[in-house]
Amino acid sequence: MFRLNLKIALRNLWKHKGYTFINIAGLSIGMASCILIFIFVRYQLSFDQQFANKDRIYRVVSSWKYADKEDFQSGVPRPLAAAMRNDFGMLEEVAALQRAGGIIKVKDQSGKLRLKTAEDVFYIEPGFFRIFDYPWLEGNPQQALVQPNTVALSQKMASRFFGDWHKAVGQTFQYRDKTLKVTGVFADIPDNNSNPINIAIAYAGYENKDMKEWYTVSSSSEVYILLKKGVNIADLEGPKNAFLKKYYTDKESNGKEDHFFQPLAELHKDANYGNFSGKIMEKSQLTGLIAIGVFLLLTACINFINLATAQAIGRSKEIGVRKVMGGRRKQLMVQFLTETLTITIFALLIACVLTEAALPGMIGLFRENISFSIMDHPVIFVFMIVLVLLVSLVAGFYPAMVMSGFNPMLAIRNKVNLGNSGGAVLRKVLVVMQFTLTIILMTGTFIIMKQMKYIREKPLGFNPSAIAMVNVPGDSLSRLKYKFLKTKVENETGVRMASLCSSGPSSMDVDDINFSYNGKKPGFHVGSKYADADYFKTFDLKVISGKGFSGNDSLQEYIVNETFLKKLNIVSPEDAIGQKVSLGGSADQISIVGVVKDFNNTNLREAISPILFHKNSRKATVIAVKMNTQNIPATMKNIEAIWNSVYPDHVYMADFMEEKINKYYENERVIGTLFKAFALVIVFISFIGLFGLISFVATQRTKEMAIRKVLGASTLELVNMVNFSFMTLVLLANLMAWPIAYLLINKWLSGYAYRIELNIWPFLIVTSVSMIATLLTVSFRSFSAARANPVDALKDE
Amino acid sequence: MIQLQNIEKYYANKGLKSYILRHVSTTIQQGEFVSIMGPSGAGKSTLLNILGMLEEPTYGSYEFMGENVVSLNERKRIELYRNHIGFVFQAYHLIDEMTVAENIEAPLLYKKVGSAERKSRVAEMLDRFNMVAKKDLFPNQLSGGQQQLVGIARALAAQPLIILADEPTGNLQSAQALQIMDLFKKLNEEENITIIQVTHSEINAGYGTRILHLLDGVISEDIQVVV
Repeated sequence: MFRLNLKIALRNLWKHKGYTFINIAGLSIGMASCILIFIFVRYQLSFDQQFANKDRIYRVVSSWKYADKEDFQSGVPRPLAAAMRNDFGMLEEVAALQRAGGIIKVKDQSGKLRLKTAEDVFYIEPGFFRIFDYPWLEGNPQQALVQPNTVALSQKMASRFFGDWHKAVGQTFQYRDKTLKVTGVFADIPDNNSNPINIAIAYAGYENKDMKEWYTVSSSSEVYILLKKGVNIADLEGPKNAFLKKYYTDKESNGKEDHFFQPLAELHKDANYGNFSGKIMEKSQLTGLIAIGVFLLLTACINFINLATAQAIGRSKEIGVRKVMGGRRKQLMVQFLTETLTITIFALLIACVLTEAALPGMIGLFRENISFSIMDHPVIFVFMIVLVLLVSLVAGFYPAMVMSGFNPMLAIRNKVNLGNSGGAVLRKVLVVMQFTLTIILMTGTFIIMKQMKYIREKPLGFNPSAIAMVNVPGDSLSRLKYKFLKTKVENETGVRMASLCSSGPSSMDVDDINFSYNGKKPGFHVGSKYADADYFKTFDLKVISGKGFSGNDSLQEYIVNETFLKKLNIVSPEDAIGQKVSLGGSADQISIVGVVKDFNNTNLREAISPILFHKNSRKATVIAVKMNTQNIPATMKNIEAIWNSVYPDHVYMADFMEEKINKYYENERVIGTLFKAFALVIVFISFIGLFGLISFVATQRTKEMAIRKVLGASTLELVNMVNFSFMTLVLLANLMAWPIAYLLINKWLSGYAYRIELNIWPFLIVTSVSMIATLLTVSFRSFSAARANPVDALKDE
Repeated sequence: MIQLQNIEKYYANKGLKSYILRHVSTTIQQGEFVSIMGPSGAGKSTLLNILGMLEEPTYGSYEFMGENVVSLNERKRIELYRNHIGFVFQAYHLIDEMTVAENIEAPLLYKKVGSAERKSRVAEMLDRFNMVAKKDLFPNQLSGGQQQLVGIARALAAQPLIILADEPTGNLQSAQALQIMDLFKKLNEEENITIIQVTHSEINAGYGTRILHLLDGVISEDIQVVV
């Protein structure tokens, strides 16, 4: 029976090639999108999930509540790990993970320098490897990192340092001023991990491990805990409150400290805290993607349902005959579902090809190593099977039910009238639904594009172009050479100006500190940046009152931005000149000598915050080099040569200010591209479906059109008549889409401090575009139907 | 009113011409009631289609109200449909999705008759055909004879000069058929509407004033019926 059904299914599909093509095209593109989304979501959800204890592992993170905002930090105070080990009974393990970085030198047997490189390193307590069961290739994870100055390397790093990782254990290398002995090698940590550890140094040798300061938190100091079996994370709430009371005793502190135990699975998804790998995929984005996938699939299924019910009348004779021959309703349903299944499987095969073709683009977009390999991830295969069954059922069940329900006598005489029954109404509802989704996605894409353009073109208040940010080492010896380096760089041809500073005007890492203004604490923090006298000219920042910094380095001076004054309710910038500020509880009262015009100090999602520039060169991390736009690569090469001659023991690193700014909008770039791609897909699916439906309707109404024609209707009137119903549906879909799109887009835009204002134009444009596209699609078919000779349609059979 | 001269219609297939109509020449005056008769395949329907400008002759000339209408452009042809020609079909060809009243109103819409007049003409038609009670029914709720009455009412609504009917009683029982024929005769005599019908039935043909016998595409007899 199944074979026969299959054969009939294939014949039927072949007979209606056009509709089959539309169905398969729509379904395969929709399914390909779903598969792509699935493998992406699967990859994102696989982060940090390879550990046996994953459900009992939590990261301790910090937060501060202020009067006007809340701050989040992935780091914790240094004494916290030891204190928690002492105070919490229900923890099996507590381990600190400290990120650091510096120059590593590897010498070969003869003592010659083999390799010099700047690397991130992690100081790790041995307990860390009891929490996370990384596979070790050599050495004992429990004992390898007990002694100070011992180190374990990843396989990749060990091979890089010593040629062959088998030979690594027992060897030594220089890290900063220490000699580290390799005591273990562990397998490379996969990309889907939030802690990209390559060099693990014993925590016992960490110079600042005994710091007792509870009010200083660095994002480089993380602590992980492993719950005892059977302990609920909520049980930690009581001890935590006691813990907070015990250690945070300073009543004067600005914000209210708190700690939170973040489940391991959240590390990759919570942008408030971040992680060492820097890879974050927020839950809302994953949900958004999944929603889009469902939308696309739904649209394709709607095409299928519409065309299948529309075609049903044409097949009524076959159904009637089958019933008269003794076919039962159930058998007929199975037959129709077989047809759907056949189409869906065809579509899946094509979808696999499309997925494979689109994967490189996807990898390029997300910069993640995603693979479409059923061997590696059998769950993808399971997903595809579920997808096929689901689509077959969703798309096939209703048409099968309708068709198998025909009255056989009426069916044989071709008297089944779906036009006045539920079929036509359902089709209309489905088309409206489909186009509502399409319009929402189109409008969303349109406005996202506009917002991104706005961000790209918005003046930042400073000029970031042709500025290279070159790192400078922060140790005391190197600091002595800052002046020398700066002079040499400035004398280079192609360099217009250079400035030593802690960061560019716009940077994500700001040193927020509390301060007092003329002796009073105002209750908000100020972001402090180090800048030398040339900073403002280098970045083209406008000093609107007072003057820039003097060249005298020993004279301490402050320059603030307009927002700083606004927050202090100082109206005229002139009034601030000469006022005294002291930073971070220090007793030094230092004068404000200038006010700089506001500039965007982080990305445009955030409003401008109060900023203060100081002259404390200990905070220098980079030298900003403004170059002539011609020949930047050659200039950069020369700067690197100068740098290496000044700091032969350090490693040169540089990037461009403009690229740094572009990186803030990485997320927008990804979302923008995704929306464009998926909007295109949904538009394709919807309009190809519409074309299928109008083809059918035109065929079905041929007789009616012929009658009308001999009654005196002109071609144009007939075309209008057929078009009108479709135009109404699409217009209705537009009206339904407007409020939904408005709410969604407004929510998205509210994430930006700098945003375009929503007006009616994008909605009107999308509406007119969709109406025109509908008109063209529909007219194409209705015109040829209206032009047909009525005689052919009116012949009596 | 209608002048056919040497009308020929053939389909060429691999160089072989198969003729449907040959050397058909005739003149039909205003007010005639013509029945086209002949065996199956004689070309009756084709001749009627040509008269109704639904098909073009391969050869020959056709003048309708003094105007050559062979390869008339669509706009002008539609003008003729709207104002002068009414069609009645064997299978009625009512629009299934429209009620009786709406079906009758349809040609008036195309003729751009004003709303008030449309209403009165539809009412008049319904009244005349005793269908007022059925005006809101759909075609599939009517018997065949009733459907054909609606079909004729629809054809008459636009007040045509000529009605072209292709076996108007072919699907009807004889009593209903006689009713339709009486109606045609009355329209022809009282309102001077030209009627051209294709029919197999001698009885039906007897209602007319003239019979054209077609045999293998040629007019074999042209008989004036004497009452």
